Amino acid sequence: MKRASAILMILGALGATATAKVDLTTLPSRDTVQLTIYNSADMTLVRESRALTLKEGVNALQFSWENTLIDPTSLEMLPKAQADRIEIAELVYPPRVRNLGLWNIQSEVSGPVPVEITYLTSGLTWRAFYMGTLAQDEKTMRLQGYVRVTNNSGEDYENAQTRLIVGKVHILDEIAELAQRQYPYGRPGEIVPLPAVPPSTSRRAFGMMPRLHVMSEAAVAKPKEIVKEGLSEYFLYTIEGTETIPTGWSKRLASFDVEGVPVVNLYKYEEERYGTRVVRFLSFKNDEAHKLGQTPIPDGSLKVYRSVDEQKHLSYEGQSAFKYIPVNEDVELNLGAVADVVVEPKLMESKTENYRFDNRGNINGWDDVQTFTVEVRNTRDVPARIEITRNFNTVAWDLRRAGDETGFEKVDLNTVKFTVELPAQSKKTFEYTLTAYQGVRAEDWTRRSGRP
Amino acid sequence: MNAKRIAVIGVLALLCLAAGAQARIKLVALPERAATVIRLDNPNATLIEEERVLTLQKGLNKVDFSWKGVQIDEDSIRLESLDHPGDVTLLSISYPPGEAALVWEISSAGDFAETVRISYLLSNIDRLITYKAVANKAETFVDLKSYLVLRNFSGEDFEKARVLLDYGEAFEQGIDHEETKQMLFLNEPNVPVRKIWTFDAESLPWDPEQLNNQNVGIPVSYEIVNSEENRLGEFALWGGKARLFQQDGHGSTIFLGEDNASLVPVGEKMELYIGDSRDIVVTQRKMQDTQINLRKNNDGRIVLFDTDEVITAKIENFKDSPAVLTMIQHLPGQWDMEQCNLKYTKKDASTLKFEIELPARTEKGPAVKELTMHYHRRNVRPGQ
Repeated sequence: MKRASAILMILGALGATATAKVDLTTLPSRDTVQLTIYNSADMTLVRESRALTLKEGVNALQFSWENTLIDPTSLEMLPKAQADRIEIAELVYPPRVRNLGLWNIQSEVSGPVPVEITYLTSGLTWRAFYMGTLAQDEKTMRLQGYVRVTNNSGEDYENAQTRLIVGKVHILDEIAELAQRQYPYGRPGEIVPLPAVPPSTSRRAFGMMPRLHVMSEAAVAKPKEIVKEGLSEYFLYTIEGTETIPTGWSKRLASFDVEGVPVVNLYKYEEERYGTRVVRFLSFKNDEAHKLGQTPIPDGSLKVYRSVDEQKHLSYEGQSAFKYIPVNEDVELNLGAVADVVVEPKLMESKTENYRFDNRGNINGWDDVQTFTVEVRNTRDVPARIEITRNFNTVAWDLRRAGDETGFEKVDLNTVKFTVELPAQSKKTFEYTLTAYQGVRAEDWTRRSGRP
Repeated sequence: MNAKRIAVIGVLALLCLAAGAQARIKLVALPERAATVIRLDNPNATLIEEERVLTLQKGLNKVDFSWKGVQIDEDSIRLESLDHPGDVTLLSISYPPGEAALVWEISSAGDFAETVRISYLLSNIDRLITYKAVANKAETFVDLKSYLVLRNFSGEDFEKARVLLDYGEAFEQGIDHEETKQMLFLNEPNVPVRKIWTFDAESLPWDPEQLNNQNVGIPVSYEIVNSEENRLGEFALWGGKARLFQQDGHGSTIFLGEDNASLVPVGEKMELYIGDSRDIVVTQRKMQDTQINLRKNNDGRIVLFDTDEVITAKIENFKDSPAVLTMIQHLPGQWDMEQCNLKYTKKDASTLKFEIELPARTEKGPAVKELTMHYHRRNVRPGQ
């Protein structure tokens, strides 16, 4: 069963240092184990409780972690009872042995003592992913969140309380690298490796091997709940009960399932970002009005489907990467470029005017006046909101708008945004005239704008 | 295995008279090493002091000090006579060719069993400091623990030595070659901490909307002042890796993050970057940037101007708890502020620091503050 595991041994140590590993008295197994798994780094905090039997006086306790991915510098042991009478004097990493530590414990207690051992390990990962199912009218969506926990740590964790951390943790060294060091703290004069590079994808790829059978088997009558709570800058997901995830396996669990989230079909057009094609977004908000808003939604990927008929048949609409969404934040899910909503800006007129000349008769100022007609077409059978963003290469400009609707939003000094609401299968056309002031005409514009 | 690699041999006087130190004859039993001290107060080098009893004869004595498999800085070796300092004189030190050794020439006024102290700098033995801090759930205090990690890769086994740091009591410790030992040496509960969020407009992206599906993390740090009011302040805190945890309210902890602490003298602050907050969002935009007060040369070309610039920043707190965001803005060159709706302090000529208090989010939405800076850069030359 356990091909590799962290093993605890108590050595009856008579003198001080116990280099000879003799007098094995007890081998306590784990009573409980708790895993706190991170997803911004390849790291898991393991907390296990064991009952040790101590003698009065000096006790040496051996802990070994062959074939695991434990960071030995993170090992800590704390007595959970009579802490004032038990002194954990030191942790020794003996010479010429690898993957082994010795705790020297000074005890005034004789008998069983519960202790808690914590350490960081790598090889356990989790990620969040989502499925969205749009109603036929695309006004609402069913949103299902899943987490998937993968164990490649080399250690089988049985009946472990499993917790997941959402958030970006700052770490200096990769736990996997620390776990493979010959000496836990390195040698003097050794160059300390630079801060961690993003975790390699190879391990993740391994964790993504098909495991469909496992998942369907794991789906029991009543799915487990995941309790979510905020801690510091992170969110803690605690999976109800305990989980057994042998090494090499992964497990998918339902995180939430919300029906009828109101969504807006949002389309965006911005040549500088997306080229000339319209990009489709699904927009909603992580708040109560959208039946969400209890906790942030961790980043992951989302696959969007749409119900196409009463028989619950589906069509696949697209996939979007999902960023971390705080509570009350707007969400815009990019579903990719589409052809059924079209935005066509056309330059209808281009002229220059208001020339200025300097003392020598050279041109030192003029206005560029350009008139655009923008046609927006929604060929779909559902309504759409379309945002058209235009960037200018000057800061001295005026804009006039005409057509079906007027008004625009100034995003920043040289960007404006037009928003058009279109019913199903309809089109609108609007026109705007941009006057860009060049040379001394820009100076006039600055003065006219009433600025100092 | 356990062989001493550092040896001292007393050589009978008169034996090598004229011949020089050619074939050196090593005689006399090895004097045992007595009180040994490992001094770790200098972070760059480790000083070993050991005491040995030399059997000296009246007249000239030669004592051979050699080492093998260890690295000793030859120039650092010192010899101190402890029993008869006035009557025992070190005359010269010579280094035999091609050997890790030296020969002391000692003049003695009598036959003494003299205790001497030999000190030298030994390589590949040192200490590290690591910290482990567990914050309470409210993140106002930490239980701060510091561990001393002794690493001995010097080639020498120290059976028993007194270990000295730059503060605190010396303690007895043995450490073998290739052994690493971790000991708790500071355990201070309830040390006050301050949590800081920092947005630096120079290093973080301004407009999160421009980043497709990426969150901008606002760096979060803990600040600990090494002072008596904070239950510290007894000695400088050495630099080392610090790991931060937090109590989760269920009798367990979570790992918050880790950072390298630098050496913190008494009265100074330790700042530990733990991770990024994605629940505070800053959207900064430049809303205006024009040239005013133009000065032109005879050709009508602008040679000097001022600018009229407006920067806005929307700060949203999506957290369910209040926070104070430290915002750093940079205005290069000569400038003056026409109007700024939030208070700031000047950190230096071109750096502005805002301390922005953000309430917790409400049911209606995030807590929002807006910064508007309307400023002029003065006397700008084109192309500058």
